[in-house]
Order: sequence, then structure tokens, then C-alpha cells
Amino acid sequence: MYKISDDELLQELKMRFQENKKALDELQVLNEELKTANKKLEESEALKSHFIANIANEIRNPLASILGFASSILSADEKDWRDIMPMISHIYSEVFYLDFQFKNIFIAAKLEAGQIAPEICKIDIRSILLNLIESFKYEAEMKNISIVINNGADRKNSIYFKSDSEKLKLILSNLLSNAIKYSYKDSKIDINYKIKGKKMTISVQDYGEGISRANQKIIFDRFKRADSGINSLNRGHGLGLSVNKALLEILDGKIEVKTEMNKGTIFTILLPEATAEITGISGDDNEVIFNTSEDGDIF
Amino acid sequence: MENGRYFLYPSTLLVCKRPAWITTILGSCVAVCLYDPVMKIGGMNHYMLPYWNGEGLASPKYGNIAINKLIKEMVKNGSKRLNLVAKIFGGANVSQVNHSIYYINKRNISVSVNLLKEYSIPIVNSSTGGNKGRRIQFCTETGKVLQKFIK
Repeated sequence: MYKISDDELLQELKMRFQENKKALDELQVLNEELKTANKKLEESEALKSHFIANIANEIRNPLASILGFASSILSADEKDWRDIMPMISHIYSEVFYLDFQFKNIFIAAKLEAGQIAPEICKIDIRSILLNLIESFKYEAEMKNISIVINNGADRKNSIYFKSDSEKLKLILSNLLSNAIKYSYKDSKIDINYKIKGKKMTISVQDYGEGISRANQKIIFDRFKRADSGINSLNRGHGLGLSVNKALLEILDGKIEVKTEMNKGTIFTILLPEATAEITGISGDDNEVIFNTSEDGDIF
Repeated sequence: MENGRYFLYPSTLLVCKRPAWITTILGSCVAVCLYDPVMKIGGMNHYMLPYWNGEGLASPKYGNIAINKLIKEMVKNGSKRLNLVAKIFGGANVSQVNHSIYYINKRNISVSVNLLKEYSIPIVNSSTGGNKGRRIQFCTETGKVLQKFIK
């Protein structure tokens, strides 16, 4: 043992106190984090248990109108086929809406169960976007919104990109559906896409009501909607954007939002091109073997 | 996904009733392999962050959720929780950042250690920490795990 001076002792003690304090501070930060995590968990679980109750109308209203139209068609005369056509298009749009919402609900359930893996194929981006616009045509027409694709979508040549087409379709459907929902009447929606090297960006811009600062924090949380009040005109269940975020994470992508109140919102997704699929795995190059039967000493 | 070989992506989990090899690649992520020596079935998860903070979906991207779901899934497939044994892998410090609050890897590891202790599932083997990524293969029939360090 060697002697130390009082000064050195003080110095050493000071240092140790500081270290202790630092550790304590860190612990407190972690503690806080845990507390908020816990609170959020409880909150979100409560929302989850009310989920079915909350979306009951989202399911029953379209079903009621489908039933109504279908029975009118059944009782209609053959001569009235001109009157029947609009009913059929109503039925189509309601069924389309239901199908779209169920896709979100089921994929959210799969994501939460951890059963989603990317399925990569070559996608024709141009045709996906055109199909998407076609499928939302009816909803856009109801509000007299024109949807415009910029960046050479009118050109005849297709642009291919390797990614998961089903997931990308759902992501874009959610963005477009939101854009239509929160647009003002007689406005337009711009879709821009760009492929640069191995990266693609697609943005969907509306000129609608925008998202308030408070709501910007929660839009990616599950079951949260920017306008969940009883007077809300828009339907929805608050899963779309949280599904989008989770799906993009699986594809290594990102989603960004820029918004201004009463001016509109731009959602931009950034997606890297998928590398080749991971398929066969060889088992010949292993260094360490673990086994349960022996008490873990097989290093 | 051929011949009972599966690649496990981050934020997912898989329990196999039939004999299968599950492979995954880990950096700072952690994978928990649960094995039931009675039923001879196994399952694995692959989570990236320790705790879910209410953001986005409650997916198995987060340790607390991934571990709970994996145990539930094993029980659903006929295992008894008392029979389960666990092995933990991953949690390497690949980014070499030296602020202790950012030790995501360490917190990832401690989540699994703490939660498994809470459920009294013994950790029979583990290979965690360090600063190299790992590729692991888990045989769900025997509970054997093969590991290779990667750069």
C-alpha cells in the first residue's frame, strides 16, 4: 500500500463521487424511460381493447350500404339498368374501402405477431402508381380532386425497382387515401417519384388542412387519429400510418412528413432497392456449437 | 424457406413445430432462442430495441414485446413454460459509440436476462456482447445453436 496526500485523496474521492452521480443520473433517465414505456403500454392496450368497438361503425356502415344497394338491385327491373350502374359503382367503392381497411388491420396483426418478412420482386413503379390512382378514382371524384403523377409517368417506358410490391402498394394506398381524406374539395394531389441509383423516393402531396404540431407526434402511433372526435367527417381506424412505418422499417426505408396548417402535407417515403434474396444457408462454416444437454461448456 | 430452413428477419419471431433450422444475423440486436426439450420444439425472436415506448405498432422489434410473444407462442404450440430453456445471442457493440446511455446492445441483453428471470426460464447458454456481429443457426428439434462471428 502506498501513501497518498490529502490532496490526492480529495481528488480521488471527488472523482468517485462524480462517477457515482453520473451512474445515478443515468439510472434516473432509464427509470423515467421505463415509466413512460409502461404508461404508453397501458394506454395503448386500453386503446387496443376498445379497437373493435371503435371501428364497429367503420365496418357496419359500408356493409349496410352494400346490403341496401344489393337489395335494390335485386328488386329492380331489367329495363332500369341505367339506374343500376351507379349503385354498382357505390357497392364497388364500399367493398374496395372495406377490403383496404381489412388489409391494414390484418397486416397490423401480422406485424405485431412478428410474422412479416419481405418478399422481393421486380416492380414496375409506373404501373403500380397508375393502378393505385385508378383504384382511388371514385373517392377522388367525389371530392373533385385531380391526382397528378409527376416525373415522367406519362412516358411509355416502365421503371423497374426491386422491392416488396404488396407492401409498397399498401404503403402508397394509405398515403393516397389519407391525402384524399384531408384534402379540400376541388384541389389536387401531386405524386412525385424519383429513382436515383439504388434509392427511390415517392412523395404524396396534398393541399389540404395539414397536421397540427401536437398531432404530428402521434400520427405514427397505433390507433391514434388526427381527428378522432365524434364530429369527425372522415372514417378510419388510426392504423394506416403506423402500419406504413412498420412496413417501411422491414424494407429498410423511411417515412418523412412535412406539413403546414391549411396549406397541406407532404409524405415522402425513401426506399433502398432490395439486394438479392437470402435463400439457402450453408451450415459448414461454424466455429462454436452450443448444446442444451451439457451445461454450456462446449466453447 | 425450403427444407425447413428459415431466415428470421429483424422484428419477427418464429416457432416451429416441425424440425427446422432458423438462421438470423445479429449486430446490436438480440435473439432469444427458446427450446422445449420435452416437446422437442423451439422458437426464436430477433429484436432491435429494448422497450416499446408506445411509438408505432407494438411489434417484436422491441425486446419486452418480442420475448412475451415468443413465450406465448411456445405455450400456444403446446409447451409448458416450466419446461422451457433459453439461449441468448447478439448484443454486440458494433457501432463503437462510447456513451453509456447509448449502449443499446447492453440494454437489449439485460432486457432478455431480466424478463427470462421474471418468467423463471433458465438461460442455459449465451453468447452476447463483444464487438462482432454474429450469424446464428438454431435447430428447433434439438435446441442446438451454431454460431459464427462475422465482420
